[in-house]
This record gives sequence, C-alpha cells and structure tokens, in this order.
Amino acid sequence: MKKKIAFYIIIIGIMAGCYPQGPEYYEDLDLVYTNYEEKFDFASKGTYAMPDQIVKVEGNLAEGEDPEFVKEPYNTQILTKIQANMTAMGYTEVEDPEDADLVLFPAVWTNTTVYYWYDYWCWYYPYYCGWGWGYPSVTATTSGTLVMTLVADGTDYIEPTRVWTALANGLLSGAVNTNRVNAAIDQAFEQSPYLDTK
Amino acid sequence: MKKIIAILAFGLLVISQNAYCQQPSYTSVQYSIGFGTGDLGDYISAPSFRGATIEYRKAIKDNLLVGVDLGWNVFYEKKDFATYSSGAQSLSGIQYRTQNQLPMLVSVDYFLSTNSEFKPYIGLGIGTMYTERSTDMGQWRLMENPWHFAVKPELGFLYEMSYSTSFKVSAKYINGFKSGNLDASQNYISINLGMAFNL
Repeated sequence: MKKKIAFYIIIIGIMAGCYPQGPEYYEDLDLVYTNYEEKFDFASKGTYAMPDQIVKVEGNLAEGEDPEFVKEPYNTQILTKIQANMTAMGYTEVEDPEDADLVLFPAVWTNTTVYYWYDYWCWYYPYYCGWGWGYPSVTATTSGTLVMTLVADGTDYIEPTRVWTALANGLLSGAVNTNRVNAAIDQAFEQSPYLDTK
Repeated sequence: MKKIIAILAFGLLVISQNAYCQQPSYTSVQYSIGFGTGDLGDYISAPSFRGATIEYRKAIKDNLLVGVDLGWNVFYEKKDFATYSSGAQSLSGIQYRTQNQLPMLVSVDYFLSTNSEFKPYIGLGIGTMYTERSTDMGQWRLMENPWHFAVKPELGFLYEMSYSTSFKVSAKYINGFKSGNLDASQNYISINLGMAFNL
C-alpha cells in the first residue's frame, strides 16, 4: 500500500513540477500594435512635420500648463529613429506643420501596477491568518508605451483626423534599453507597408 | 454426452477464472504524452509531455470492465515573434500558447485475451472534457474555457507482473465536440504508460 501511495505522489509531483514557465526576459513581453484608416491614400502624400520633443503623459495637466517631455538623450534617439523610418517610406520632413501633408505626434507614458500580498504565510499555518501582525509583501511592475500618431487635415478632412496609430508597449526594466525602443519603432513601420509612398 | 458437458463446464470455469475474476477491480496511474490533432494541433504543434491519467475499472463480465477515466494533458508552445493582422489592425509580439485538456469519461474495456500475462483490450469512453486555452501576448491574456461532450476510442494492454500489479500501456483518441467560443472540436491522441494495482 505504501508503495502505491508513493507511486501516486511521485507522479503528481512530476506533473506539478513541469508546468510551462512562460516569458523569461523583459523583451519577451514587448508588443507593437498598429491601426490605420483604410480609405486614406498615403501614397499621394510626401511631406510630414514632427515636434522636436516627445510629450510624457503623466498625472493631470491643468489648462495652460506645459506638459513634461522625455529627457535627452532618449528624446533625440527616439525622434531620429522615427525620422529614419519616415524617410525610408519616402516622406520629407518640413518645419511648419501647415506646409505638411501629415503631422506625426510622438508621446510616451508609463503605468505602474502595485501588487499587495497579505497573509501569504497562511498556507503554512492557518492559525496565523487574519491577525494583522505581519507586513504585506509588495511588488510593482511598470510598463511603458510609446505612441506615434499620424494626423491628416487639409483637403482630405475638414477637421484633423488620425490616419495611423502605432503603440509600442513593454515592461520596463531598471535601465533604459534603447535597443528595445528602436526595434519597436522599426517593427511599427515594417508592419505598416501601406505608409510607403514610393 | 455427459463427458462433453463436463468438458464444456470445465472450459467455462477455466475461462471465467481469469485475472479479472480473481482481481475484479483495479486502479491505474499513467504518465501521458499528448499529440494535438485538428484545431488543437494547428494551435499548438508541439506534443505535450506533461500529462497523467487516473483510471478505475471493475469487471462486470469475464472480459468486460467498466469504470471511469480522469485525464490531464497540458499543451504548450512559445511562438516566434510574429505579426497577427485583422482588417486594418496588426499586432506583433511573442505568443505563449497553453491548452489544458481534462477529459472525464465513463469507459468500458473489452479484453481480447485474458489467459496469459499479456492482456490486450479495446475500449470506448463517453463523457465530458474541460478545455482551457490561454493565449498570452505582452501583458495580456485571451482565454477560452469551454466544456465539451467527449468520446474516446482506446487500444491497449495490461501486462501482469504479479498477482496485484500490472504494467499498462494505452493509446487513446480523445475528441471533444465543438463548444463555446472555440471554432472547432478539440481532439488529441494520448499515449499512456503506467501501473495498474488491483484493489
């Protein structure tokens, strides 16, 4: 009988121990999403304008107050990568948005999720649960999102209209990883071949 | 005539004195390997090396046993970074696909031979199966978890190692009919290796 029970326990132990593990690295969770206005004729456009600073969306912005911007050198690195991709698609950058067919607005934001674990020792000794004597275990994850929006107006639309949106989302590690951001920008343009004007 | 009747009676007695009359019920635990077919095979092409089956059988005739099967296989595959498009929308990333299959079946096994240590059988099962399919991408998860009406044909054998213990090998084709939000029936072949203990 003891042998049978031991056999069952070994089988259950092996099964529980080898459940799939999932992502291992920060970049394993990176995502790039794009969407566009299917009726818009990108091929007939050739110029775009872009601000020289990337807005950092955080907190509440009061009317008339300036937003925060991404710090250097990351600001220039991101803008340079976007410019390179727009040039490769056949667009020429112009200074004044009034002269441009399209305007590209880059922005970033971060979102921190905090997890609290109370009574995590209950599995060991149920009597210790719910007395409030311990300390909660706290962990936090922060995700970052870069959004690029192409807006058209002029002869195409009465009001400025979003014709392309790209979102790059990933879990932030302690250090800024420029390679991940650059790869995400490249991917956003790669999966948007309809932007090509050539 | 009396001799013939006596021989027939003796023959019947011998046939009925097989392992299952001596050992009218058994329980078995088996390690299970799964191979997804159809929609499940398209979703996760990698075989499942994580699974187990627990079975109980009781003899109702010399070579006919009925009982229950409880099974579990988890299929898992990490897909390469890829782009998935729908209309004007495209999403790129690594997908982690996991599918748990838990069949719960009432089964009947018919033994083709019971006179030697090697006892081949064919079986049928009917019941329900729970599917839990989760697609993880980035920090998001899509999940489907329907219950199916399920059937199972089975082939296998018991090899009697001692009075109370047998080695058991079986191959099952488990089919859960289309259910819930999944587009097709979910089916897989499982190969099971384990031990059977008489009760």
